[in-house]
Amino acid sequence: MSFLNIENVNKHYFDVEVLKSINIEINKGDFLVLVGPSGCGKSTLLNMIAGLDEISGGDISIDGQSMAGVHPSKRDIAMVFQSYALYPNMSVAKNISFGLEMRKVPKVERDKAVQKVAKMLQMEQLLDRKPSQLSGGQRQRVAMGRALVREPRVFLFDEPLSNLDAKLRVDMRTEIKQLHQRLGATIVYVTHDQIEAMTLATKIAVMNAGIVQQFGSPEEIYDNPVNTFVAGFMGSPSMNLIQAKVCKVEDKLCFEVATADQDRPLLLPIERDQQALVSYLNRNVTLGLRPETITDPGSANRSEGQIHEADLMVKVTEPTGADMFVVTQLGGTEVVARMRSRCGALAGQSCRFAFDVSRNLAFDGDTGDRIQ
Amino acid sequence: MSASSQDNALRSGIAWRVLIYSVLIVTAVIYLAPLFVMLVTSLKSLEEIRMGNMMALPLQITFEPWLKAWGSACLGLDCNGISGYFWNSLKITVPAVAIGTLLGAFNGYVLTKWRFRGHQWVFGMMLFACFIPFQIVLLPMSQVLGWLGLANTTSGLVLVHVVYGLGFTTLFFRNFYEAFPDELIRASVMDGAGFFTIFGRILLPNSGPIIVVTVIWQFTNIWNDFLFGASFASGDTAPITVALNNLVNSSTGVKEYNVHMAAAITAALPTLLVYVVAGRYFVRGLMAGSVKG
Repeated sequence: MSFLNIENVNKHYFDVEVLKSINIEINKGDFLVLVGPSGCGKSTLLNMIAGLDEISGGDISIDGQSMAGVHPSKRDIAMVFQSYALYPNMSVAKNISFGLEMRKVPKVERDKAVQKVAKMLQMEQLLDRKPSQLSGGQRQRVAMGRALVREPRVFLFDEPLSNLDAKLRVDMRTEIKQLHQRLGATIVYVTHDQIEAMTLATKIAVMNAGIVQQFGSPEEIYDNPVNTFVAGFMGSPSMNLIQAKVCKVEDKLCFEVATADQDRPLLLPIERDQQALVSYLNRNVTLGLRPETITDPGSANRSEGQIHEADLMVKVTEPTGADMFVVTQLGGTEVVARMRSRCGALAGQSCRFAFDVSRNLAFDGDTGDRIQ
Repeated sequence: MSASSQDNALRSGIAWRVLIYSVLIVTAVIYLAPLFVMLVTSLKSLEEIRMGNMMALPLQITFEPWLKAWGSACLGLDCNGISGYFWNSLKITVPAVAIGTLLGAFNGYVLTKWRFRGHQWVFGMMLFACFIPFQIVLLPMSQVLGWLGLANTTSGLVLVHVVYGLGFTTLFFRNFYEAFPDELIRASVMDGAGFFTIFGRILLPNSGPIIVVTVIWQFTNIWNDFLFGASFASGDTAPITVALNNLVNSSTGVKEYNVHMAAAITAALPTLLVYVVAGRYFVRGLMAGSVKG
């Protein structure tokens, strides 16, 4: 039985519908990440789980118990806010123990709990300080401590890392993941950063325009996106989505993609979802190619994939150190390929590209839904 | 060349400075002159005042006028000085400031953090109170005070000042709390704090600057009020502003300018004190709450 159950939840402010029939179920110990662009309703959903926003329709239950009409403080959940929301007038220790004090936990136990959490997050030396005397990372830690000390059934995180600088963000991300593994806690985490979603989650719900576009494990979301939105949102650099036509060459189904050279289109054999694609013969579809499926011939994975090679004109090269992103023109848009840093590709010259056609995805040209 | 131009820049910088400071000093002198006259006059004997030079320092410093103003000057027939009225003013001002500030904070809290339908209208109407001239409320207010049985009492004046000040205090606190992060309120709700606990433990302790602004504003207004004091209190319950007027207008005997000046300075001292003690927070608070002064 699922631990946190979001059933048919709706939310509208007057006439504006912000969430439409949301259905999400997760088990105890799951790390659910709600990810989507700003304004997609993910924070609203989190606030509704917390009880800070009212639900217009549907129900949210935790551990089989409906949360309808239950006050936020009685739901046994704790929340970490984007701005940390530390009480400026209280010391770190007071900040952490305030929730316990409100629940009338005796002082001795409170102090013990604070010490335990401070030790776990390695901030014993900070307990007497005021929030204004802390760095961003330390404030983040205190905000987490405030949630941890209550030992709640569910933790809610509202974009907790978005105010930190890049390096600290990566460190804290690792720390949150370790915390999750150590405590086995159930976590709902909101972010607009798809890398955070991929690295942290056991379950991801990709949201857009008030609708859950896809709900599943990170691998499912990444490898089998259900539409172009999910495909384009997850992954960095994002998936190449290009215009292509399904055609038949010597009895074999192919994607025909326009190249810079108008007389010589690129033909990529279709190795996947063939049956579904037969009905799209001679029609336009959107072809999805992840950058890492386009490589230089030397680093192509021939044992697992099916490689199709072609010569194409290089527009730009972007070396990152470990890899080199090579940009070419396909189907009227720029396409990024991920090659080794010493593959020898030069801007303005022709280069040999290796396509792993077993990982190509096709989407309906009109609706954007996956064809499979 | 560069050295000489730098020299020039330096010299013109100094010239500017001299000019700016002279203007500032002259303005300050003009501004402070009346206070200076009051102070030296209050320290002179009547004979010395009659010698004529207002600006002259006292030949012989005497505190006699101060003592007389405080304890034995005559206001009409009553010759007990202004001390009783000084305490009256304190008894009116301190509770009125405290209650007004607290209510304003509370209003601001509800109007920003517990929004209800039509909250803008309620606030708009309270703002209206800031624009109502004193004179308009005189008659209705005296009617209400009569109904409540508070006419001619200190509590009556406290009520008047609380009500009249509420528009301002609410405005100050609402604007301050508008900028107060909602996430803090949400966090405390999740921590299990109730309506009043959030107000008392989270909001109020973080309202230092705006409390100072409101207290200074209210204190100066209420302490300096003459119209309400003259209208709603008479005789023994009058505030010091009214007493000062009575003292100066007592037409028996000679005009004791030194006593009058001493009494006037005494009447102004508390507001001065409040500014000196809390003034530096005043500007800071005005900026913080983006409140118009």
